[in-house]
Amino acid sequence: MTRVSLQNIDRHYGALHALRDVSFEVEDGEFVVLLGPSGCGKSTLLSSIAGLDPLQGGQILFDDQDVSRLEPAQRNIGMVFQSYALYPSMKVRSNLSFGLESQRMSRAKIDERVGWAAQLLQIEPLLDRRPAALSGGQRQRVAIGRALVRDTDLFLFDEPLSNLDAKLRTEMRVEIKALHKRLGATFIYVTHDQVEAMTLATRIAVMNGGRLEQYDTPETVYERPASTFVASFIGAPPMNLLPARVVRGDGGAVAEVQGARLPIPSGIAAQVEGEVTLGVRCEALTVMPAGSGGPEAFTGSVVVTEPLGADTLVWVEVGEHRLCARIPPRDARSLPGEVALAPASGALSFFHPESGQRIPGEAEA
Amino acid sequence: MSFTDTRTGYHRPEAPTGRGWGTAARVGLWAFLAISALFFAIPLFVMLSTSLKTAEEVRGGSVFALPTDPSLAAWGKAWGSACIGRVCEGISNGLWNSVKILVPSTILSVAIAAINGYALSLWRVPYAGLLLAGLLLGAFIPFQVMIYPLVRMFAQVGIYGSLTGVVVVHVLFGLPILTLIFTNFYRSLPPELMKAARVDGAGFFRIFRRIVLPMSANVIIVAVILSFTGVWNDYLLALIFAGRDNLPMTVQLNSLVGTRIGLPEYNVNMAATLIAALPPLILYLISGQYFVRGVTAGAVKG
Repeated sequence: MTRVSLQNIDRHYGALHALRDVSFEVEDGEFVVLLGPSGCGKSTLLSSIAGLDPLQGGQILFDDQDVSRLEPAQRNIGMVFQSYALYPSMKVRSNLSFGLESQRMSRAKIDERVGWAAQLLQIEPLLDRRPAALSGGQRQRVAIGRALVRDTDLFLFDEPLSNLDAKLRTEMRVEIKALHKRLGATFIYVTHDQVEAMTLATRIAVMNGGRLEQYDTPETVYERPASTFVASFIGAPPMNLLPARVVRGDGGAVAEVQGARLPIPSGIAAQVEGEVTLGVRCEALTVMPAGSGGPEAFTGSVVVTEPLGADTLVWVEVGEHRLCARIPPRDARSLPGEVALAPASGALSFFHPESGQRIPGEAEA
Repeated sequence: MSFTDTRTGYHRPEAPTGRGWGTAARVGLWAFLAISALFFAIPLFVMLSTSLKTAEEVRGGSVFALPTDPSLAAWGKAWGSACIGRVCEGISNGLWNSVKILVPSTILSVAIAAINGYALSLWRVPYAGLLLAGLLLGAFIPFQVMIYPLVRMFAQVGIYGSLTGVVVVHVLFGLPILTLIFTNFYRSLPPELMKAARVDGAGFFRIFRRIVLPMSANVIIVAVILSFTGVWNDYLLALIFAGRDNLPMTVQLNSLVGTRIGLPEYNVNMAATLIAALPPLILYLISGQYFVRGVTAGAVKG
């Protein structure tokens, strides 16, 4: 069992501040996904956890033991790389056993571990081939196998699926999730693909510009993004964001935006003044005929509809903003040109207009 | 028509196929190529044909005339009984000396350069950039300026005028350029390979031996050819550092050609020169394709 604790990790590459004071904890058996756009520092962070990249500040603990100064091999981890990085001159069997031989494990034990991993990943028929004779998916399995043979409870994955085609990626994703469940080990997984992050993670660490933006369960990251960055990075399409004006009246504060007046919960109202950024997910907007939504609805004209199969995205132009709403395909067929969009109660997120940080409501704070 | 080079992955733009070229230009091109080929081939032909003639025939006829009665007598004399100064043992002894200098020099310089290049490109070496700049400088400074200091130093250590001395000099002068070649080649290896090996717990030499070396066949062949050619063709360094007992073929060849007892034996000289030129020639013929492959791999990808 391995708990990982990152404390104030800092890393510069010349003028580039790649990691800025990153801290979070990974519990036993968790599947943590580091998610962010390219260049956000997620791979650098993984390299630091693996010990491939020296730290310049902060420390890393595995089970309360400081490993910041240890070599990668001493940290006892299994790691899978984006390019697979299989040793080209060795057969699959030697690729798997290379690390164990380095540890001076006995031959019998090595054969046992390699056999176990090969069986688990169904690569037994490939053991006597060279990496060049394998397909992309097979190489991926071998790369995972090379990590698995290590007797460890911490596995690191650096964008392992991004070199696979879409179909294979979906298959491998399911397998990796099943593998995590079966091993009960701690997984830390880097990706820029939010679908991978949402489906695999027990917790997602969203990173941007070397900073940790949010570290929470996929549901929370999706429904209650910690910043406008997270709101627009997670979700396809991203969360609708609208600048609104705070107006205080008799019945409490309301956010005025494009003719709609949306009540601000009292816990949030105390923290805002003047301007606020409103966020609402596409599926939290109900589409109604124009004029029937009441004062809490936006009115606009339908620009385009995108049928996705299970549901349909409706893009509505409200003032100068374009909002998306997710509706059942049946309803989309009889859509009028002008519609009202009513947000579900409690589905609104509020962000500071300048910092983009979330303004927490009473239930969250 | 265009194609992608499968080795380098670079897409080459359409090569001129001759369409749209004037016929005159094509004739000119072919003429130029033919003349260039002749320019290099004729001396070789003259040497070969002269070496197969007898001394009388050489004096009597044109240099371009074919031998009337080809014989290997001149080759035999050049090999075993031609007189260099007062010793009449041919240049076979020189060939053996050349091999004795060549083999350790090539093995040592290629091995050390491979490890240097591996360390400089794939490991974090402090001041690696500075070291490489120093090597670059070392590769381009004319070595003549270092000869006198080296002679003094070698004399101090007691290896001046010995096989060890000349081997050390060859290794020293071969290292900069060979190290650069290896560094460039290893830089083109995927860095994740090194990371994977480090996670697997392999150390500096284990990674080198098990992972890096098996991928280095092409660049090693290039390095061996360069080192081989340089050491084999060397005259000055061996003359200065090898001592009288270890003089290689090049030095003996010069003495042979320069020996003036009676009439110059052109046929023997030509045969001796060809013998001296044969080993590198054979090496090129055997490894030519690897050489080209390795050079492009190092140059384009590096």
